[in-house]
Amino acid sequence: MKLYDVVVVGAGNAGLSAAITCALAGKKTLVIEQHNLPGGCASSFRRGRFEIEPSLHELCDVGPLSNPGDVRKMFDEYGLKVEWCEVPDCFRVVSKYRDGGVMDVTMPSGIEAFKDAMEKYVPGSRPKMDELFELMQEILDGIAYITASAGQADSNVLKEKYPNMLRTGAYPTQQVFDALKLPKRCQDILSTYWGYLGVDMEHLSFIHYAAMVHKYISRGAYIPKHTSHELSNAFIERFRELGGEIWFNCRAEEFLFTGDRLTGVRTNLGVIDTKYVLANINPDIIYGKMMPKELIPEREKKLVAARKRQFGARIFTAYFCLDVPYEELGIKDYSIFMPESSDSAEEYKNMTGSWETNDYSIFLCYNVANPDASPEGTCICSFTTFSAVDDWNNVTPEKYVELKNKVAKKFLWKLKEKTGITLQGHIEEMSVATPWTFARYLNAPEGSVYGYETRDWDGMMARMMMLSQDYPIKGMRPIGTAGPRGDGYSSAYICGQLLAKLAIKDLNTEEV
Amino acid sequence: MALNVKVGLVGALDMLKFKNMAKVREEAIQAAPAREVDGNFTINTKAKELHPDYQELVVCKVIDYDKAGAKTFVLKRPDGKPVAYFRAGQYLSLKMQIGTSFITRPYSISSSPKLALEGKYCITVKTNPGGFAADYMLENLHLGNKIIVSDPQGQFYYEDLRDGYNILALAGGSGITPFLSMARAIRDGIEKFNLTILFGSRTEDSILFKEELCEISKVCPKVKVVHVLSDEEKDGFEHGFITAELIRKYLLDNSSIFICGPEAMYRFLDGEIPKLGLPKRLVRREILGVTKHVEDHEGYPAECIGKTFTIRVCRGPEETEIPAAAGESVLVALERAGIKAPSRCRSGECGWCRSKLVSGDVFIPEETDGRRWADKEHNYIHPCASFPVSDLVLEVAGEYLEQ
Repeated sequence: MKLYDVVVVGAGNAGLSAAITCALAGKKTLVIEQHNLPGGCASSFRRGRFEIEPSLHELCDVGPLSNPGDVRKMFDEYGLKVEWCEVPDCFRVVSKYRDGGVMDVTMPSGIEAFKDAMEKYVPGSRPKMDELFELMQEILDGIAYITASAGQADSNVLKEKYPNMLRTGAYPTQQVFDALKLPKRCQDILSTYWGYLGVDMEHLSFIHYAAMVHKYISRGAYIPKHTSHELSNAFIERFRELGGEIWFNCRAEEFLFTGDRLTGVRTNLGVIDTKYVLANINPDIIYGKMMPKELIPEREKKLVAARKRQFGARIFTAYFCLDVPYEELGIKDYSIFMPESSDSAEEYKNMTGSWETNDYSIFLCYNVANPDASPEGTCICSFTTFSAVDDWNNVTPEKYVELKNKVAKKFLWKLKEKTGITLQGHIEEMSVATPWTFARYLNAPEGSVYGYETRDWDGMMARMMMLSQDYPIKGMRPIGTAGPRGDGYSSAYICGQLLAKLAIKDLNTEEV
Repeated sequence: MALNVKVGLVGALDMLKFKNMAKVREEAIQAAPAREVDGNFTINTKAKELHPDYQELVVCKVIDYDKAGAKTFVLKRPDGKPVAYFRAGQYLSLKMQIGTSFITRPYSISSSPKLALEGKYCITVKTNPGGFAADYMLENLHLGNKIIVSDPQGQFYYEDLRDGYNILALAGGSGITPFLSMARAIRDGIEKFNLTILFGSRTEDSILFKEELCEISKVCPKVKVVHVLSDEEKDGFEHGFITAELIRKYLLDNSSIFICGPEAMYRFLDGEIPKLGLPKRLVRREILGVTKHVEDHEGYPAECIGKTFTIRVCRGPEETEIPAAAGESVLVALERAGIKAPSRCRSGECGWCRSKLVSGDVFIPEETDGRRWADKEHNYIHPCASFPVSDLVLEVAGEYLEQ
């Protein structure tokens, strides 16, 4: 049997990025994937004449050719070919301000345009918005510095160059907004993005918020022309070109050790010998099911226990393929966020309480950004929301479809109430994905695609600072949402690359 | 002026708070108990129950419909626990070993979803010309035999947000089975729609499930059955084929049409349905099944007829070379060679057999090309609906069956 340098377990976003990074470094790399498709969430499915995007709303940090973001640069560096479509606006949000006023605003991409729109909706906000963007820029630069130093950042450099990052980074976003004295309505509009990070403004670290939101606003957002399956296939094809191997429908059942060092993986296609594993699997599952108990360090057991299975968003998405062009349905926006209020803590509580208390969904029409998203004369829309743990833990298989459709109907009705848009009477194909669906295809714990919540003590920066302490298993690193960057496509790509580079370093050090 | 943001009263303390993030995190970790890690999760367990890798069942009853050349097999979980629940209209992919071949065949579940809770499914197998697997099962599948089936598959089911409240089912021969399941589901209160079945059979004697259907429609006014006999004229029956005219006669307002039957029926209806002027969303068709006579399809290279090609097959760590007859799908070639290739719908639709065509060319009939855009772009094929027209190198996926 062959001996691989690296086996990447799980061809999700982090796994794909890690695999290419290893292959580019000349490592003999095998990817094994339990499903028959690459990508995990980054995939697609067919219904009738439609091909549906399952998860990606917008990819952060691609940026235009003239101002490429980190993701576009990474794709270029990897040699991936993807056709991108620009998402026209940041978002439209239909909700209520905390002062009770009606909120219906459309925020464009581009920092100046965004500030201009904010000035229109919240007159006098510009000086404070200028400060906010300056602060977010400093934080982006600071994170880039810390990431590049891989846990060895010089505190003098940090103090000198990024003092505002140091002074604000450890606080929740809400507190920083208040410290900046951002007008309340401004804060309400800016809070819209919290859903993409899955943590409310009271618990989301500002550094995490700033890192993402600045990128979305400054460089706009993009989607691939042919669903995120196009992205995942682009990774795999390039990986193959670089000599990488991929086995689909191959599930890692157990990690095999020689002494305290990982040396193999037992799968349904036999035992694979390898020097290293990059496991795109949640550590709860690795430690709970896939390796000998005696090899799990005490601190790692404590880490798992401290996280108390607080997984981030369990996504519910209903997909509708319609037999009319979107213009005829009165749809104008790519994405409409429809929280009931702009109090994110309250929304989060309601969303995760039960489907009956949850009134918040994000409505998307792919064709607005990508006219080729579906056959001529048709369009594809979706609703996405977080779902309550108890709803999906307690439902029985025989009541499962009924619950799926009840929730989907509620959001169709809410859309009509909030925007006047009706989809019924034009639905040619539909599908509903719940935490069960994500558990089925990804085996993500409790169907949560966001990993452990990046909140409070376990935020992004704290994880980043402790990269070298977490997961001290010889010959293995978990990658993906349990990593420092938490959830999201771009985070997973970046995290996969970062951890693969550390693995390559480990391998090279040992070989010397 | 340089930006100077402080959240707390003293900026230096804010900085300390930043620096201390790692310390605070470590304290939170150390304060937790060093418990054994539990890798099981409720939703993951439930998702696995609904979608197991495969199910091992036994034949617990065989009902012989001698005149129709068909048998119903009642399949049961040996431990009596529920089998994976399903939506009326879905199918199972049966996995069998015949000789040295590992094959699959999709069969609609004909029983009510309610029966799944008692650990049982019913499927009906009808003899058909050249029906290798059907004939094998009719002869060799007996009481007590084991059989491996997939989780329930397919999208041929009622969806209230999408479909009209009145379903007009057009069934031919054993294509009645998904509708029998729907009728039973309506009877059991699981489904709520109205179902009218136009059921085409050759003669009265050859009607499958005549009594069962009659009984359901007696106790359940939502279900109506109209028999259409093609080879016989009798009072109380419609006769001829299921034409647009006949469909119009039974089509109510707020209706969707569901079609399931043999290929000849689909071909005939392809000419009739457009006459009704219905939007696409109101007409749904069950998967087509294996393409027969691929050489008759437009664009098929005639020079390939009768040829045999070689496929180099890579599957995980294994590599083999196998022969492949031009007229048979790549999947059939894999199965004949004893390779445990994944497959389910055998109609190009579900994509479970998705494989990478590393080199060589295949012919894919357009109507069964259910591939994703990026798969077409990067030369992935669905072997069940692809026919070799040259030697091939193919990477196939693994399977989860116990070896």
